[in-house]
Amino acid sequence: MTSEPPLVPLSVRPISAAEHLDFVRSRPSVSFLQTPAWAQVKNEWRGESIGWFDGSTIVGAALVLYRQLPRLKRYLAYLPEGPDIDWSDGDVARWLTPMAAHLKKQGAFGIRMGPPVITRRWRAATIKQAIADPVLGSLSDVPADERDEAAIELRATLSALGWKEIPTEGGFSAGQPKFNFQLPLAGRDEADLLAGMNQLWRRNIKKAAKAGVEVTTGSRDDLAEFHRVYAETAERDSFTPRPLSYFQRMWDALSAEEPDRLVLYLARHEGDLVAATTMVRVGEHAWYSYGASTTQKRDVRGSNAIQWQMMRDALAAGATTYDMRGITETLDPDDSHVGLIQFKVGTGGEAVEYLGEWDLPLNRALHLGFTTYMRRRG
Amino acid sequence: MSGFDLDVDAARWRRSLGTVTETRPRLVPVIKGNGYGFGRDLLCRESTALGVDTIAVGTYDEVPAALAAFDGDVMVLTPWRPFFVDAVIDDRVIHTLGRVDDVAALAAAAPGARVLLEGETSMARHGFDRHELAAAVAVLGDLRVEGFAIHLPLRSVAPGGNYGEAERWAAALEASQVETTTLYVSHLTPGEVGALSARRPHLDIRPRIGTSLWLGDLGALSVRATVIDSHLVARGEHIGYRQRAMPRDGTLLIIAGGTSHGIGLESPKAVSGVVARGKQLAKGGLEAAGLSLSPFRIGGKQRWFAEPPHMQASMVFLPGDVEAPAVGDSVDVAVRFTTATFDAINLR
Repeated sequence: MTSEPPLVPLSVRPISAAEHLDFVRSRPSVSFLQTPAWAQVKNEWRGESIGWFDGSTIVGAALVLYRQLPRLKRYLAYLPEGPDIDWSDGDVARWLTPMAAHLKKQGAFGIRMGPPVITRRWRAATIKQAIADPVLGSLSDVPADERDEAAIELRATLSALGWKEIPTEGGFSAGQPKFNFQLPLAGRDEADLLAGMNQLWRRNIKKAAKAGVEVTTGSRDDLAEFHRVYAETAERDSFTPRPLSYFQRMWDALSAEEPDRLVLYLARHEGDLVAATTMVRVGEHAWYSYGASTTQKRDVRGSNAIQWQMMRDALAAGATTYDMRGITETLDPDDSHVGLIQFKVGTGGEAVEYLGEWDLPLNRALHLGFTTYMRRRG
Repeated sequence: MSGFDLDVDAARWRRSLGTVTETRPRLVPVIKGNGYGFGRDLLCRESTALGVDTIAVGTYDEVPAALAAFDGDVMVLTPWRPFFVDAVIDDRVIHTLGRVDDVAALAAAAPGARVLLEGETSMARHGFDRHELAAAVAVLGDLRVEGFAIHLPLRSVAPGGNYGEAERWAAALEASQVETTTLYVSHLTPGEVGALSARRPHLDIRPRIGTSLWLGDLGALSVRATVIDSHLVARGEHIGYRQRAMPRDGTLLIIAGGTSHGIGLESPKAVSGVVARGKQLAKGGLEAAGLSLSPFRIGGKQRWFAEPPHMQASMVFLPGDVEAPAVGDSVDVAVRFTTATFDAINLR
């Protein structure tokens, strides 16, 4: 009989932002929500960087955002799209147990995390066919093109450890989206990316170039111009816009970390700004984060031109994934969200399903009160 | 010898088989277990006469005889498992697969074998989760996919019932990486298969049918149990293996048909609903008193077993006020054809 060597218990302790950043830089990629700079963007939360140590070697890290309960010195500890640990380790308890102990000591009544673990993938062609088929109403109805058994088993493991998955409605929850759309870039070139797009995308990219749409990158001063178009978009699509100061804070925090962490893109036609976006990149992962477009001059296809420029820049910067962020699970052609999916599907990428967000109540009563409060807030 | 026999009005039975075959295009007869009372060999021969190209058997154990008695393809409904020792590898055999590991194992053990992939329906018996299909396709190797199969419950409670579930699977199959356009289905009505074929013109939908084919016209079938012996008994007289006292004066009939014929086999009844359950409870009450209703009908009524059925005959009590059949006469029996074994099947 052979026996596995006993695993050394891991310890968790706070680390400095500099140590944290060093660890982030040593990794191929982590979510931008897990960079130390993100704590400064989310200034209504208290941020803390923590590290996992195997002896004296740092082997994992996370950004914890603490949100205080009204009138109490107790917190929800939130690790958006984190922690950044070895999720493929057969023994996740070895990582999560010392984390929970540390966060409890810090006054957390509950922990919320979003393991950056992909369980299933659907290719563009599959999704396109499913949208055309009235019987297939959501991604879960459609056979996935890839499925990660080990990732799916994590579900059972987390449940056994007392974690509870936060239910989502159509893939939307209060937190980070469970379903995302990503364009794989690894081993591809521009011609290959174009060939993978649908005809409409290729035509619109050409159309924008022919119309003379110019895409440039902007400076902090251009954020105001971006914000003007963003506010117009918010009104058109009826969502609440974030204030300009939020984007300025994001710019300052992220740019201080890496000069090209956050890039502002501006698409102009004959001098008029027609679309504006931001792209964030951490290592090999680039995210299209905020987008805006004017109602005027939609026919010059500024949105396609600006996306294409971001994709090319991500490719040139060595990114392996261009991430277009959240989609809903629905594939119902009558659902208003399906247009967004179709726009993203046209890039030829893939839909991915993450493990979702999970809660660990540390104080049952406070946690119950908190979740009830969050539900009422809607 | 006449004992516990099945008499078949052959012309009428075959008319029924012909009608079902005509109204259910592309059907695959299911021939498994006891052959629905007829025996599997007889049904294999009838299938040949019906002109079908494929039959379905239940287990690998049933394959060799089917290959001998039928010239076409033989599909096995029970999914192949690596630990089966009787699996028959033959070019006329179509295997069912329902686990990714099994696909890889069969691809290694029998490259080139013909297979069906089965989806796990609300039956929750065998089959792949739809999200496993890509992984299954990835390890197919040289296996030849002949189709996709779904086994539905008798009546699904899923939205849209069996039809809804079948259509969701048909859509999933078309969106999946499984490269086949043949869909084998069970427990769909002719109307449902027709509607599905119309909605999914790319798919070749083939119903797999057992009961409603072979037992489609019960009027063509009569089961004859011969009275082997008859004794007058008095109230309080002790009879049988268990020397039970008779409740009244009457006749004790010894009738051909015992446990070896499937008489007295109990299985959970397929009942639902309060009334049906209540009836069962009431019946259970009498059974608790030591009496059991037999499947033998005499004088228009089901009669009580005088004691539990023997292996080849049953002892049935008939009250004195009922005229008893003579030795050599036959009586009606309500049999469950899927568990019955007859001494003889007489095609007349």
